[in-house]
Amino acid sequence: MRGFRKESRLLVLGLIVGLVGAGCGSGGKLGVKALSQESKSLRSLAAEGALLAQDAVSGKTTRVYTREHSSDLYKAASQAEASLKTAETEPELEPKLRQLAVLAAQVSADLNRLGSASKEEERAVGRELQAAAKESKKIGEGLK
Amino acid sequence: MSVKNVLAVALGIMSAIGGFVDIGDLVFNTQAGAIFGFQLLWVVVIGVVGIIVYSEMCGRVSAVAKRPVFDLVRERTGFGAGLATLIASEIVNLMTCAAEIGGVAICFQLLSGLPYRLLIPLAVIGLAVCSWVLPFRWLERVFGYLGLGLLVFAVAAIKLHPDWGQVAHGFVPGSHSGGSLMVYLYFVVGLLGAAMTPYEVYFYSSGAVEDRWGLKELRLNQVTSIIGYVLGGFLSFALMIVAGALFLPLGISPQFLGTPALAAEHALGQLGLLLALVGILFAVGGAAIETSFAGGYNMAQFFGWRWGKRERPARASRFTLSWLAIFALALLLVMTGYDPVKLTEFSVIFSVVALPLTYLPILLIANDRAYMGSNVNGKLANVLGGLYFLLILVIAVVAIPLMLLTHGGQG
Repeated sequence: MRGFRKESRLLVLGLIVGLVGAGCGSGGKLGVKALSQESKSLRSLAAEGALLAQDAVSGKTTRVYTREHSSDLYKAASQAEASLKTAETEPELEPKLRQLAVLAAQVSADLNRLGSASKEEERAVGRELQAAAKESKKIGEGLK
Repeated sequence: MSVKNVLAVALGIMSAIGGFVDIGDLVFNTQAGAIFGFQLLWVVVIGVVGIIVYSEMCGRVSAVAKRPVFDLVRERTGFGAGLATLIASEIVNLMTCAAEIGGVAICFQLLSGLPYRLLIPLAVIGLAVCSWVLPFRWLERVFGYLGLGLLVFAVAAIKLHPDWGQVAHGFVPGSHSGGSLMVYLYFVVGLLGAAMTPYEVYFYSSGAVEDRWGLKELRLNQVTSIIGYVLGGFLSFALMIVAGALFLPLGISPQFLGTPALAAEHALGQLGLLLALVGILFAVGGAAIETSFAGGYNMAQFFGWRWGKRERPARASRFTLSWLAIFALALLLVMTGYDPVKLTEFSVIFSVVALPLTYLPILLIANDRAYMGSNVNGKLANVLGGLYFLLILVIAVVAIPLMLLTHGGQG
């Protein structure tokens, strides 16, 4: 009985370690799955920024909301840019990582401009972010 | 039904809407809609029926025994089990309260443009002053009525022209597309957890005692819990439909509390945006008050202190200090800078783990003739209560593994 209890404890401990390990990921180099996740996240930020810019152009939103929400999106995009810049990956995935890092920098810059943009700039930023969202989707599909 | 009762039902409905759709529902419903479209609408139905079943039991226990549920938990289950329930509930209350306070500060930031960090303490002071000054019924009315701004999402859902055939299909569980099975299951668990958060039933039962419900109010209890939570579920449907119709095709995965408001803005312009932000502000503000009160109620009822909003704060000093302490600790938690949306995800998943500790004592007491006399659970309440308890047990076991395996629903 005591041995059974010890085995049960070890099993539970192993399960927890396994789950935490799975939750934390493998660390170090980014694999296909992690890069695909980065491209999804970048597409989401760019698409949300494009929608916000489009609504700003058509007068559907308030100045304050555009400034504050684009600032939140910008912070998330800057974090993605910083982590992609320093990330490492397998040699065959290197071009995709570089493409994503460049795109993240562009999305981040566009979102930063959006908060204080004039109507004309909002239109241009919206177009650029829409294109970035499409590009990010393409990169993600190329990773499958 | 008398005019007074019609008014009472209406007030119950308002408070249920304000209490049901909190930051957890806003986050999980929009994220689920953005990943799986309308495919998870059936989970909301299951969650709504579950919260109706257990809220009705809680209201009935309070009306018959004239004591709230937590008061009876310790008496019925003993000190050890009661203390475990108390600790689990207080941790979840604190995390949820912190997330809701963060939500209030974000809404103020999106409305005013003032810095988030400055708005957090202002939000806590505002909520604490409202809780101190306003009578219980006025808290229900103010936060319930103004939380109705969320109805703008129902209008936005219609204006976004979703495929209604697919929406109808979403009410039937079946195969899924758009994300992995693990992520799908994670959202099933999260949506159920968000719908059946423990503080809702504790607040509901203590509220019934505060409102002095008796045997005459048993019918009112049924009507209030059914209509109120069905309307709350209706708002959850609207949030998921809006996200499925607008965010999914664009590949937007909502990470911010401001994102659902973007959908109302896109569909209805500035008026839609303002109504959405005001609705979210009062829904999460009301939920912050409910969680802090639920924390105070639980402590006071467990330790046998004098409690209630009807009492003068000095007469129920330990109860008053308890809910103020929940606000103060929640303030510290939000001021660490931890993202309220992430905190919401954690609080919902941890509340799922604590669900059996909340719902088992309710089921036991509602079946105990010593407390309930002839008003014990009928067959339907027992069958549904038993089935839901089994479901709660399953999701409590799988909640944390699913959160870890899916990186919080990221895949």
